[in-house]
Amino acid sequence: MLGATVNGTLGHSVLLVGLICATFGALATVYGIRTGDARLLRTTQRYAFGVALAGVAAFGIMERALVDRDFTLAYVQQVGSADTPFLFNITAIWSALEGSILLWLLILVGYTAVIARRFRKRLADPLVAWALVVMFVVCIFFFVLTLGPADAFRAGAVGVTKGTGPNPLLQNHILVLFHPPILYLGYVGMTVPFAFAIAALITGRVGERWLTETRRFALFAWGFLTIGILLGGWWSYEVLGWSGVWGWDPVENASLLPWLTGTAYIHSVLVQERRGMLRVWNLTLLVSTFALTILGTFLTRSGVIKSVHAFSNGTIGPYLLSFFGIIAVVSLGLIAWRGDRLRSPGAIDSPMSREGAFLANNVLFTVFAFVVLLVTVFPLIVEALQNRTIKVGSPYFESMVVPFGLVLLFLMAVAPVLPWRKASTELLRDRLFWPAWVGVIAILVPLVVGATGFAALLAFGLGGFAAGAASRQLILATRRQGLRGLVGRANGGMVVHIGVIIVAVALVASTTYTHSSVIELSVGKQASYGGHTFELVAVEGFTTARSNGVRAKVRVDNAKDYSPAITTYTAFGSNVPTPSVRNGVLDDIYLTIEPGAAPGDKTATIKVFIKPLVVWLWIGGLLMVVGTGLSGFPGKRRRRPTDPTSAPIPVDGAGPDPVSQEPVSV
Amino acid sequence: MSTAAASAPVPLNRRLKRWPGWVVLLGVVIVALLIGATRSTGPLTDEDRLDGIAQHIACPECEGESVYESQSPAAQNIRIQIKSLISQGTYSDDQIIAYVETNFGTKTQLVPKATGFDAVVWALPVFAGVCAIAGLTVAFRRWRTAADTVPTESDRALVDAALAEQDDEH
Repeated sequence: MLGATVNGTLGHSVLLVGLICATFGALATVYGIRTGDARLLRTTQRYAFGVALAGVAAFGIMERALVDRDFTLAYVQQVGSADTPFLFNITAIWSALEGSILLWLLILVGYTAVIARRFRKRLADPLVAWALVVMFVVCIFFFVLTLGPADAFRAGAVGVTKGTGPNPLLQNHILVLFHPPILYLGYVGMTVPFAFAIAALITGRVGERWLTETRRFALFAWGFLTIGILLGGWWSYEVLGWSGVWGWDPVENASLLPWLTGTAYIHSVLVQERRGMLRVWNLTLLVSTFALTILGTFLTRSGVIKSVHAFSNGTIGPYLLSFFGIIAVVSLGLIAWRGDRLRSPGAIDSPMSREGAFLANNVLFTVFAFVVLLVTVFPLIVEALQNRTIKVGSPYFESMVVPFGLVLLFLMAVAPVLPWRKASTELLRDRLFWPAWVGVIAILVPLVVGATGFAALLAFGLGGFAAGAASRQLILATRRQGLRGLVGRANGGMVVHIGVIIVAVALVASTTYTHSSVIELSVGKQASYGGHTFELVAVEGFTTARSNGVRAKVRVDNAKDYSPAITTYTAFGSNVPTPSVRNGVLDDIYLTIEPGAAPGDKTATIKVFIKPLVVWLWIGGLLMVVGTGLSGFPGKRRRRPTDPTSAPIPVDGAGPDPVSQEPVSV
Repeated sequence: MSTAAASAPVPLNRRLKRWPGWVVLLGVVIVALLIGATRSTGPLTDEDRLDGIAQHIACPECEGESVYESQSPAAQNIRIQIKSLISQGTYSDDQIIAYVETNFGTKTQLVPKATGFDAVVWALPVFAGVCAIAGLTVAFRRWRTAADTVPTESDRALVDAALAEQDDEH
């Protein structure tokens, strides 16, 4: 009992210390900037570390409370259980609203400390100082949340000695350990480039310097957001039993929105670095990306939208909505204020240029983000205006994603071969010819093996076309520079492109050509479906401290046994299906057991999905991660970090950049 | 020397990339896509039809899941009903969805109708796409015009300021 009191009191205390540190950090930094007190500005690092320590301590105290099953805390009563295994007790912290905000805070204070450490020699630089102020202000907001509407250390009802544990879906797969923290690393990481964008606007230093300084942070955050989204898809596939990876659920959409605007940003930033253009656009994208993380959190944590992922209908909504409003007003106000300095000195000479393709890509991503946002909130608008409810689900989104995906693949094919400023038709004919034939092969091969459908085949063709263009770039680069031709922004980006193409093709194949059937299996008798054989070995029961269930042992193709199951979590009374999957290079066999089976039965009803190319989703995702890492490494050194990428590069032979000049015909 | 260069044979790689090569490529693509688009997809199993229909219907007692995704008793019940109608072999997919809508409430469809206020959800993406294309066209046209103009004193001052700022930062 004493320990429980200690956890609650300690938790509140460290959060209060963190709030004070963040507030003093922000105030001291602003005062230091105003008075030009360099000595004071150099001390802000201490506040950042203080904030970080407080955030880490708060998270650690809550973990301790969960591991110790401190049921005097309301949050532990909600998500803790004596029967939950250790691993899921650890992950239970992010299985509900209050703990997920603590996780957000933990990562946010981590980034704040990293910024303070990374720029420790330039803390007196107003750009860095203002960026830290923005980080402190965001920290203040989240400390307020953790002490107010998302208070994880609130005392619970007296006399409670046990809890239900986390939602059953959050305690039956190892990916619960990885997906949320990695997604948050991306989500929260978008705060860093946002902070520097605001700092650039305040200081008026809206040139390209701040972009180069935050490039890796933006890339890092985007990379983690990408991994987080992919892991979410994998988790859904392995756990939910409907064989899909993406359900266009509002919470999934909330993670996709900043990814879309973030992807637009990491492309358009190249145009600004190279040509000094699109300054307002880039700032708007960064602000939108950060604001969308807050808006998405509002939509999914305030209870206004129903979702299997949504946590709360508590009082956090107005806080998040107000913060979103402040971000929008302040950011747009600053952009308007600095309008004179944001005028771009250059012009895009031709749509048939690298920058023209990037702009088209940006507009495409932005329009799609708008569509996803609109449709996600559309049910709310209908309810508010017409007092009726409607639902918008996967079939609608899938009809919208097809044209978006096809145009995107086309741009991915053409953009890498385009030079800056202007391309001639002859040059395009020359550079796109062999990539286009790769596209033709990508149509013919599936056609020969029996594929049908105009959109799917066109997607394969455009995917091949884009993969050919990306491979051409990599071949040229590695021919000139060896393995070094794989690193750097342009070449690493091509590796990411190939990963995206693989993911796109796998998605198209797995959604278009999935077939399923329900099969009645009997022990000792074989049944066939989709070119595979299935034989029931046994129907078994199982019991654990927190659940009981039934599993069917099914032998596939006379080889290995697979065991789809239905688990009943006793504390919740709900049945959770657990699929069993045989992964293959060409297709996955996805098995679920239909309700009604009992231990000892000699028959069982099994649903079989044959899903082509699913494993390539994860391979493509891995390639995207590798490519993002390669993009983070510096390519060829320019004379100065702020030089545009067009600046002459002092290569070994002191010649021009071989890849951009493209003297070789491939 | 120049005569020799002019009479030198054009490499095969270059010859292939001329317009006839592209026309052949386009022809192959069109034929392949036509074959793929018109080829029969083969018979769907009842389960394939069930999955397709269930993806269009919201689970009445779930939070944002379709009947296809949900494992709730209500979703299972609707799946059984759909399966029964499919097995009768006389109902189209639309008729089955209409049946479910009538018997399980009007909020069950996951695809908004293209009539009334719901049509906004179909019209706005198209409108946004048209605006985007128009905006890009206007922007490129304006840039092309701007590229032809002589820089003003104000432009020069802007560039000078940017260069000075860059130098200050170093």
